[in-house]
Amino acid sequence: MSDERKPSRGVKIARRTFLAIAGVVGGGLLVGAGAVAWRLRQIDNYKLPAGDGEASFGAWLKFTRDGMIEVVVPHQDMGQGIYALAVLLAAEGLKAPPEAVRAAPAPIEARYANPVMLLDGLPMDEAALTAPQRATLWTFDKILRTLGLQGTGGSTSTRNIAEPIRLAAASALDMLARAASARFDAPVDQLKIVGGAILAPDGKSATYGELAEAAAKLAPRAIAVPPLAIGDYVGKGAPRFDVPPKVYGRAKYGIDTREPGQLYAAIRHSPRLGGRLSRASIPADAAGVRGIVEGKDYVAVVGETYAAAMAGLDKADVVWDESNALKVSTGDVFAAYRAALDRGADYKPRWVIDAVGDPSGATGKAVKATYDAPFLAHVTMEPINATALVTETGAKVWAGHQSASLVQLLAAGAAGLKSEQVEVFTPFLGGGFGRRADLGYVVTAVEIARKFMGVPVQTIWSRAEDIRDDVYRPAAMADVSATLGDDGMPTGFTYRIAVPSITDQFVARAMPSAKGGLMADRTTVDGALFPFYGLPNRSIENLTVDSGVPVGFWRSVGYSLNCFFFESFIDELAAAAGAKPLDYRSRLLAAAGAYEPARRAHALLHRMGRYDQARPLAPGADGAKSGRGFALTECFHSFVGQVADVEIVDKTLRVRRVHAVVDCGFAIDPPNVAAQVRGAINYGLSAVLFGKIDFDQGRVAQTNFDSYPVLTLETAPEITVEIVNSGAAIGGVGEIGVPALAPAVANAVFAATGRRLRSLPLTL
Amino acid sequence: MGVDLTLNGAAATLSSPPDSPLLWALRDERRLVGVKFGCGAGLCGACTVIIDGRQARSCQTQVKDVAGKTVVTIEGLSGDIAQAVTDGWIAAQAPQCGYCQPGFVMAATAVIAADPKQTREQALSQLTNICRCGTYDAIRAAIDHALGALNAAPSPQKQGSAQ
Repeated sequence: MSDERKPSRGVKIARRTFLAIAGVVGGGLLVGAGAVAWRLRQIDNYKLPAGDGEASFGAWLKFTRDGMIEVVVPHQDMGQGIYALAVLLAAEGLKAPPEAVRAAPAPIEARYANPVMLLDGLPMDEAALTAPQRATLWTFDKILRTLGLQGTGGSTSTRNIAEPIRLAAASALDMLARAASARFDAPVDQLKIVGGAILAPDGKSATYGELAEAAAKLAPRAIAVPPLAIGDYVGKGAPRFDVPPKVYGRAKYGIDTREPGQLYAAIRHSPRLGGRLSRASIPADAAGVRGIVEGKDYVAVVGETYAAAMAGLDKADVVWDESNALKVSTGDVFAAYRAALDRGADYKPRWVIDAVGDPSGATGKAVKATYDAPFLAHVTMEPINATALVTETGAKVWAGHQSASLVQLLAAGAAGLKSEQVEVFTPFLGGGFGRRADLGYVVTAVEIARKFMGVPVQTIWSRAEDIRDDVYRPAAMADVSATLGDDGMPTGFTYRIAVPSITDQFVARAMPSAKGGLMADRTTVDGALFPFYGLPNRSIENLTVDSGVPVGFWRSVGYSLNCFFFESFIDELAAAAGAKPLDYRSRLLAAAGAYEPARRAHALLHRMGRYDQARPLAPGADGAKSGRGFALTECFHSFVGQVADVEIVDKTLRVRRVHAVVDCGFAIDPPNVAAQVRGAINYGLSAVLFGKIDFDQGRVAQTNFDSYPVLTLETAPEITVEIVNSGAAIGGVGEIGVPALAPAVANAVFAATGRRLRSLPLTL
Repeated sequence: MGVDLTLNGAAATLSSPPDSPLLWALRDERRLVGVKFGCGAGLCGACTVIIDGRQARSCQTQVKDVAGKTVVTIEGLSGDIAQAVTDGWIAAQAPQCGYCQPGFVMAATAVIAADPKQTREQALSQLTNICRCGTYDAIRAAIDHALGALNAAPSPQKQGSAQ
C-alpha cells in the first residue's frame, strides 16, 4: 500500500516553528514502569528489518533509503483510515511533516498482536471491573499477545496501536536528538527541531535522515509520552495520502493483482447452503479455459481471462448433492426464535450476562414488546476474491483481509505448507465491514491455485456468489419487558435475545478442532448489556439458537441488533410514562448514579437537547408527515447520540437529516472521525430501509443490488457530526455510527405517525 | 481480428471475444484495473467508463459495441472538467475504501462535461453509482467544489473529458 504514495523529494520543511528539544524529550519526561515499560521492551527486543541505507528504530519506525520515515501498521486499511492515522501520530511524535512519513504493512510477528479485539468479547462490564475480572483480563491479554493473532475489527485499530506508535516516535526522536548532540558536540537541551531537522546552537543543522544511521545504533531509552492533546497534526488531521491514488484509480486492491502468467477462476457454490458438489465437467472446446476444479461445495472454472472463466462456468455441467443441504427458510428461523423465547428462562443454552437484583418480583405497570431483525449481507464494493500462487516449497497470497496472521495460517493449511512458507501481500481493501475477517475464501482460492502449481490464480466471486457465500449478520428476535413504578421509572427490566453465537461459528470455521459453546457470545448481546441507564432489577439474557445459517461479524455486530431493540424500547417506556424521549432518558441516566458511562452519555444527551432546540424539526413538505427521533448508545468504548429527522408520504419513508454527537475520548483525526460516522450512518440506513437476506429451503433469495438494494445519493440524508473530546480513554470509531441510527429513525417514525415499528427493515 | 477503437487517446485493438463484457477486456487484456468490477449487472457503477462523451457501465457493454468509438477509462482521464472533478474529490477527501470512487469520478466527469452550468441537483440526480462506505455527503461536496471551480473560471471550455 505504501507504494501508492508518491515518493517525496526529501523531507520538506513544512513548519518554521522552532521547538526546543528539551520540551519534547529529555529528563523531565523519563519514566519506566508498568504498561509503558512493557511496551518499551517491545521496542528494545525487536527491530524492523532494515536494508542497505535504511535505519531501523525498533518495531514501529524506520528511515528508508528515499529519505522517508516509515511507520508500520499491523492493521488493514479498509477505508477506516488507520494508515493515515499512523502517519499523523508518527509525524506528531517526531515533529516531522506528515508528507515525510509513510505507512507500510507490519511484518507478521506475534508482537503486533491485537488482543483488544478479543478482550472486548469477554462478557464483563469494563466500566465496573471486579478484581477477579481485572486479573482475567490481564491474563487473557498476555496469552493473546503470546498467540500473536493480528487482526482488524471491532473498531480496535487505533486503540491497539496509538500508544505504541506514540512511544516509538518519542523514543526515536530522543535517539535522533542524542545523535545530533554527539555530532554537534552540544548538549541535547540546547538543540532545536525544525521541520524534520535538528539545529545546533551555532546554526549547524542535520536532517533526521542524515542523523538516522547513527541514531539507530543508540540504545532506546524509556520515554514517557504526554496524554493525547491537540498538536500540530493530532487532533486536527491532515490530507490523507491514500486519497489521490484512490481518486485517480491508481490504488491497488486485491482484485487488481496482476502477476505474470496469472489465470482467473470463476466460482459457483452449491445453490443450497451446505450442499456438496457431486461432479462437474466442461466441454473440451471451451475457449480460453484451462481447467475445472471440483471443490467440496463449489466448482471453479479456470481461464486465461475472467470473462473466459465465467463463460466456461456457464457451459459447465454441474451436479450437486443436496441430500444433506440445509432446507431452512427464513420463517423457520424466526419460528425457532419464537419457540425459544416462549420457553424463556427454561430454554438452554441460556446465558444471563448482566443481572442486577431480581426483575421477577418487580411490580408496576407492565410494558412488553417483541422486536426482530433479519439476516444481512455485507456486499463490500470489491466482491470477495483472492489470488494465490502455490509451489512445492512456498505460497504467496494477495488478498484484502482483516487478519494477516490468520491468512498465513489458513493458506498454509490449504497449501500443505508451514505458516512461515506463506507470504501474504495486503493491498487496499475494497471494504471490510467484518466480511473479510472470515477467511474461507482464502482457503478456497489456495485450493484452486494448488491445482495449478507454480501459476498464480485469481479467484473472483461474482456478486451473486459474494452474497451466497457470505457469513450473514444474524437474524434475531428479542422479547423486552419492564415494569414501571408510579413515577414512570422502571422497577424491573428483562431483555432476552434469541440469536445464534457468532463467536462459536467463527471459531469453528477458523479452527475446526476448537470446541464452541463454552462461553456466552457477548458479541450478539452488545448494545443491551451493562446499560448506562439506571435499571435496577434487570436481567439481560442470550438464548443461543442456531439454525445452521452461517453468521459472522457485520459492521457493529450485535450493536446493530440490540441498540435498535433496546433504544426503541426505551422510547416505548418514555411514551408509557408520558414523558418526552430526551427527558425520560435524562431521568434514567440520573438514576444510574455515579456510573462513569452514565455521566458521558448524559453529556451527549445535553448536546442532543441543544441541537434539538437550535435546529427544530422542519415541517414536512407537501403534506408529508415529519418526525424527529433520538437514540443514544455506548459502543466500542465510545458514546454516540443520534437525532434523525424523517418524512413520510404514504408508504414511503425518507430520512432527511441525521445529527450525531460523538465522544470517542479524543479524536486523533477529527475529519476522519466525522467521515467514518457519516459513512456508518449511511451503511446503517441501508439496513434500516432495505436490508434483508431471505432463505427459501436453504437457497439465498437475494443475488445483487437489485434484490438487495443499498443506499444511493438520492436516498442518503444530510449528516452532521459533532465531536466531543471528553478526555476519556480512546474508543473505537469505525463502527460507532451504525447502532443508534436504526432506533433514532424508528423513534422518529413513531413521533411522526404514532406507529411503533419493531421489525427491520422498517416497513410502513 | 479484433475490435478497433480509440482508448485513452490512442488507437487500440481489443482481441477479447466481441460479445464479452468490455469491463473484463479492459481489466484483463489491457490491464486497466482502475475500471472496477462491482456487480456485473449495471447496478453499481464501479465499472463506469466514458464512451463518446457519455458515462457507460462497461460491464453491460460488449466489446463489439465500442468498435470505432472513443473510450476513456480513469487511467486516461484528462482535461479541465476532469481536473475540476478530481480536485473536488481530493478537496472533499471523499474516498474511504475508495473502490467505487473511480467509477464515481468518471460518471461525474461525463455528467458535468455535458453541461458545466447545471445545478448541483441536476448533476447529482445523474449519479446513480453505489458507495458502500456511504461517502455521499463528501461526494456532494466534491460536486459543489467542481461546479464552483468551473463556473468561477472565465468561460470554462466545454471540452469533454474524452480525448
